[in-house]
Amino acid sequence: MKVIDIQGLKKSFTGKRMQRVEALKGIDLQVGRGEVFGFLGPNGAGKSTTIKSLMGLIRPTAGTVRLNGIDVHDPASRRSVGYLPENPAFYEYLSAQEYLTFVGRAFGMVPQRVKERGEQSLRRLDLWEARSRPIRGYSKGMVQRLGVAQALLHDPDIYIMDEPMSGLDPLGRALVKEIIRELRGEGKCVFFSTHITADVEAVCDRVGVIVNGALRMVERVDRIMAEGITGYLLRSRSPAGEREQIVTVDHLSDLLSRLKEEGQTVTLVEPVRKNLEQFFLDIVKGG
Amino acid sequence: MTSILLITLKGIFRDRVFQGIMVMALLFLFIPTIGSLSMRQVTELSITLSLSLISFILLLLAVFLGGTSLWKDIEKRYTFSVLGLPLSRTSYILGRFMGNALFLCLTALFLGVITLLVILWAKGLYPPSRPVRWDNMMIAVLFDTLKYLLLVSVAFFFSSVSTSFFLPIFGTISVYLVGNASQEVYDYLHSGSQAVKVLPGMVVKAASLLYYLIPNLAAFDYKLQAVYGLDIAGRGMALTVLYWVIYTTIMLALTAVIYERREMK
Ligand SMILES: Nc1ncnc2c1ncn2[C@@H]1O[C@H](COP(=O)(O)OP(=O)(O)OP(=O)(O)O)[C@@H](O)[C@H]1O
Ligand SMILES: [Mg+2]
Repeated sequence: MKVIDIQGLKKSFTGKRMQRVEALKGIDLQVGRGEVFGFLGPNGAGKSTTIKSLMGLIRPTAGTVRLNGIDVHDPASRRSVGYLPENPAFYEYLSAQEYLTFVGRAFGMVPQRVKERGEQSLRRLDLWEARSRPIRGYSKGMVQRLGVAQALLHDPDIYIMDEPMSGLDPLGRALVKEIIRELRGEGKCVFFSTHITADVEAVCDRVGVIVNGALRMVERVDRIMAEGITGYLLRSRSPAGEREQIVTVDHLSDLLSRLKEEGQTVTLVEPVRKNLEQFFLDIVKGG
Repeated sequence: MTSILLITLKGIFRDRVFQGIMVMALLFLFIPTIGSLSMRQVTELSITLSLSLISFILLLLAVFLGGTSLWKDIEKRYTFSVLGLPLSRTSYILGRFMGNALFLCLTALFLGVITLLVILWAKGLYPPSRPVRWDNMMIAVLFDTLKYLLLVSVAFFFSSVSTSFFLPIFGTISVYLVGNASQEVYDYLHSGSQAVKVLPGMVVKAASLLYYLIPNLAAFDYKLQAVYGLDIAGRGMALTVLYWVIYTTIMLALTAVIYERREMK
């Protein structure tokens, strides 16, 4: 069983003047344990709509959505889910610590564990010093960090995060990426949306590209990276001096043997690849 | 549900609502003085004023706390983070209601005690001609509290169908105004008076329908009995409590059903 299971998900919004917006046009997607899934797409593609459907915040127009095998209209489906909303807001009259206590209680954690896990996640997100201050006084990035902390609190199996890195400084972005990698190591399932291809490249096992409410592609990141190799950069040295040339994949071995015959030493072979960003741009523009 | 209840209470206290009430409670200190202006029925007047002041403060709380409780969470985008927790929407609604209700009860208790002290004071200054019925005063405050709890449930109902604070606040005020008058209008319409007979049947029917739809708030009013020390029929009280239970339950159930289906966009 896949822990995140989306089948035939459609969602239309009806606006004020009865205009219909088809935000999702039939999404099929499964994500399993120990997998980090990057949900990539341009603004207005339907990432947040998909995520809100996963959290049972909006009702699908068609299709089924399950978490841990439980349909999302049942609150029990969220029992082992850490959710970070897009541009999150938390009860601002509470402090970070009080908010975590509230979240812990909602997840039915015993007070001792809330205390331990709370300290752990607050320290991890560098909010320990600010823990007793009301959230009202937090900066945007601090609220975002609290959002990550509250998602980690109860050590869930599934993490659903809508743009987890947004609003964070470089340190914060690196930290969140590190946390995501650790979660994968623990066999958790992480599903997050983003606009930034480099983040996907850095932490994801698979990536899905959504454009205009439809999934254009779902693929393993390492495969994209491998397929994306367009040639090799080759550096060689001979008594005459140093030389650099680019060859296509097919001609690499020919060139290597020729250089050997000519008595040159190869000092560097580097794959030249189309990066994920170009890949993404091609997909988005190509439709 | 308790988690929501607790943060609701915390929120109300942090908003310094209680401090505001304490300040308003200072008004009670003037009551014996104002009462003494009447020269004769000082205690009676003091009771009337105290109970009216309690009523007014509870009304403000019911309308402004009850009417904004759900709306604020949507407006400030708290619903995403809160409803993403494994809580059912029904328990969220009930937790919110209980938090507001508990605060209303605490306020009523606090103001009730102040009233007792004020009346004791007034009674000492100007001994009344008839004994003060403390039991009636407590009943009056109790039923007043029930009335405003019911009003909170009405405010919740309005919040569940609305995206702004406009309907919850003004709808609740309207229900309050109509609800206090509905018994009188109903009685008048069914008094068989000459004036009623000339009204078109539709109007009478519509008024009757409204009478059954809008809560009958006049039934919760025991001020007169408290002021003049009249006897209160136990049966009447029991019926009123029953009415309260049914009406409030229906309001909350409707709120929960509507909110369960609502989209958090
Ligand atoms: N409440 C709503 N009412 C009407 N249309 C909506 C609503 N929410 C989203 N939409 C529409 O659905 C589409 C998808 O929106 P969504 O928020 O899912 O995009 P997104 O991929 O998260 O974009 P971004 O990267 O900007 O966050 C957009 O066309 C948007 O206008
Ligand atoms: Mg979005």
